[in-house]
Amino acid sequence: MDGMNFRDLYERRLDIVKEQKEKTNRPVIGTFCSYAPFEILHSFGVIPVRIWGESGNLHKADALLQTFICPPVRHLMALGLDGHYGFLDGVVLSYSCDAVCGLYNIWARNLRPGFSHLISLPYMEIDEASAYTTAEFGNFIEKLESFAKKQFSQESLERSIALYSEARSLMKNLYLLKKKGFLVSYADIHAMNICSQTLPVEIFLPELKKYVKTVEEEARRSRKKLKILISGSVISDASLMDFIEEIGGDIVADDACTGLRLLRNVIPEGDPLQSLVKYYLTMPRCSSRADFPSRKASLIETITDFDIDAVIFIHQKFCDPHLSDHPFLKKILDDMRIPHMQIELEGDGFTGQVRTRVESFFEMLERR
Amino acid sequence: MTEGKKTTKRLHANKSLRKIITDFYADAHRAKAEGRPVGWIPPMNGLIELFYSMDIHPIFPENWAPICAAIGTNTNNFAYAEKKGYSGDLCGYFRNNVGYALDGIQEANQPLDGLPKPDFLISFGAGCIPTMKTFQVLCDHFRVPVFRADLPQIGLEDIKDHHIQYGVIQIKRLIKFLEDLTGRKFDIDRLRQAVAYTDEACRIWDEIMDARRAIPSPFSAAEIGIMFVMVTRHGTKIAVDFLQDVLKEVREKVERGEGVIPNERIRLFWDNIPLWYNMKLFNYFEKWDAVVVAETYTSAWTLRMNPDKPLESIAYKSLVSYPLVSCVSLDKRIELIKKAVKDYKIDGAIFHSNRSCKPISMGQMDIMKVLSEELNVPGVMFDGDHMDAGKFSMAQFQTRIDAFMEMLSERKRI
Repeated sequence: MDGMNFRDLYERRLDIVKEQKEKTNRPVIGTFCSYAPFEILHSFGVIPVRIWGESGNLHKADALLQTFICPPVRHLMALGLDGHYGFLDGVVLSYSCDAVCGLYNIWARNLRPGFSHLISLPYMEIDEASAYTTAEFGNFIEKLESFAKKQFSQESLERSIALYSEARSLMKNLYLLKKKGFLVSYADIHAMNICSQTLPVEIFLPELKKYVKTVEEEARRSRKKLKILISGSVISDASLMDFIEEIGGDIVADDACTGLRLLRNVIPEGDPLQSLVKYYLTMPRCSSRADFPSRKASLIETITDFDIDAVIFIHQKFCDPHLSDHPFLKKILDDMRIPHMQIELEGDGFTGQVRTRVESFFEMLERR
Repeated sequence: MTEGKKTTKRLHANKSLRKIITDFYADAHRAKAEGRPVGWIPPMNGLIELFYSMDIHPIFPENWAPICAAIGTNTNNFAYAEKKGYSGDLCGYFRNNVGYALDGIQEANQPLDGLPKPDFLISFGAGCIPTMKTFQVLCDHFRVPVFRADLPQIGLEDIKDHHIQYGVIQIKRLIKFLEDLTGRKFDIDRLRQAVAYTDEACRIWDEIMDARRAIPSPFSAAEIGIMFVMVTRHGTKIAVDFLQDVLKEVREKVERGEGVIPNERIRLFWDNIPLWYNMKLFNYFEKWDAVVVAETYTSAWTLRMNPDKPLESIAYKSLVSYPLVSCVSLDKRIELIKKAVKDYKIDGAIFHSNRSCKPISMGQMDIMKVLSEELNVPGVMFDGDHMDAGKFSMAQFQTRIDAFMEMLSERKRI
């Protein structure tokens, strides 16, 4: 798309946060996973920032992490050691996988943030989970009260929820526009997803509104392409996304750490904390959650809703949850007669080998 | 397994341990034959006490995996898992257990007659990802009743009442599930008894481990197999009786001043899971008169249970066993290791950087740094894998260890 898009904001996102911190004196807390309740942090005046980065020099992390740890975790540690996130006042982890839990611990130990907290959300959709999660969020709130030297406010949480809900609804709208054929590149959507978890929501929301309006007004449709779903954990390589869309794919949906999973459900009306608990517990499952039947159901739903022609798994080497799920997901797709391929990234980004494999996959798809 | 990789064991208790291992699996087959339910469950939690108190035989796939590695059937199981599309980078326990359950179980001539198929499964959101995913595969494959449960991943120092209560309420639901399955009533007094046995086993375990503080140490990591009763026979008198015998033998050795080797000179700490297919490595250090006198893995059982609060006790046990050895709380783990290094008068630490276990391996560099900087105890790290011999190089191990041991020998001489 011409004119405004999120890629520029994505590039400048950390600088914008730093400026905001300087200007408003709001504390900034880093999050390692999409299950960290942004709304709670925001209700305390905190700017929540997703700790994120593309593949780069992983070896800087070698003094702290073994090479059989997945590339994104090694890369984030390298960014941390390089001082990219030196402006954070704290970090929060909502336990996802073992590697990120290790990263959180090693980060806290070596970079010594002023605040660190681990939230342990349920892995299973079971009857007892709701009361437990309420208590776990309550525990988090107590810690934030002493960190921010502020009392928890229900009204403030309601306001934060309203802002994030509005943003999510517009973001979902953008996926729906793309599905209808509006010309939006997935790399832009990806940049938007990361900005939604990095920029203060007060800054993100107006930008998002502008963006959606531009897309709608331009009303340019893309030529007919194959509708692709990408599936994996941390998918951050924009050049790979662009390449898939250049050679005949249209990435209309994702099953990844950031993206549709956070947008499918809305935070229900009612008591704000309870509503938030419900949202985080019923969000379509990430592979690290143990509830496979529920993950299977949401994948099938996405494939059907977005009329998916093919799936590209973008996996990270050594990723236990996704590599363990892969045979299961392949079987589901085979049963649905949806073609699929797997790319396993080793931390060196979009290489020639990956390019060749994606090309062959599309050649195969075109021959069908 | 080839004879050359078997460890040299010196405790007499190993003779009765062999019988305990054989009996455990024979009992499982007997239970199956008699129509008593067999449940496959994840390791290191308080459900074992509940099972034994309800005459249900537990099977721990994670305990089966080391047996496969020791006997050598692991490579077949790995091949089966690979054929089904499971990546070779996944944890060896996962690949072995998945390969075994999907295909290996059909093979004739299994060690210990193999595992009886489960009548039900407990699928957990807890512990490490590979354990969770193992049960995902098992639940899909065996098509038996599944009890789904969840446990917080929380550091020891952060356990709050709501974490315990979350465990308790699920245990109550499990009791109902098991009552329906077996048609038998749960008896809380039998659970109290089982909890009392576990408490006693943990107490004796600590005494046995304490006895290793003696110089010379009465036994080394080569005898780590005694842990079998802590994994499979908690909640029973079998564990208590066996550990009492071990304690008696160990104490007698201490009284006689009898060490593992005639002239113990260097005391070592071992971090991470052993290489189950090559336990002989624990004897490798003996040529420098060195003995591995303490390990991280054996500390998973340092806990107390209260028979007056049996449900809370088994919930607590379920919460703590995994964080005690993993990276859920690195600070706590470092604290425990520092204490062990001081208590056991450790001269050097061996770190097995284990491709099959990220939760235990992550943070090893930090631990090594702390020991060296704060306690002046040097460490060495080697690459390995607790299940897969293909990911371990003896040549690399020797190069690393030999240089390290020469350095330690030199330090001790000065």
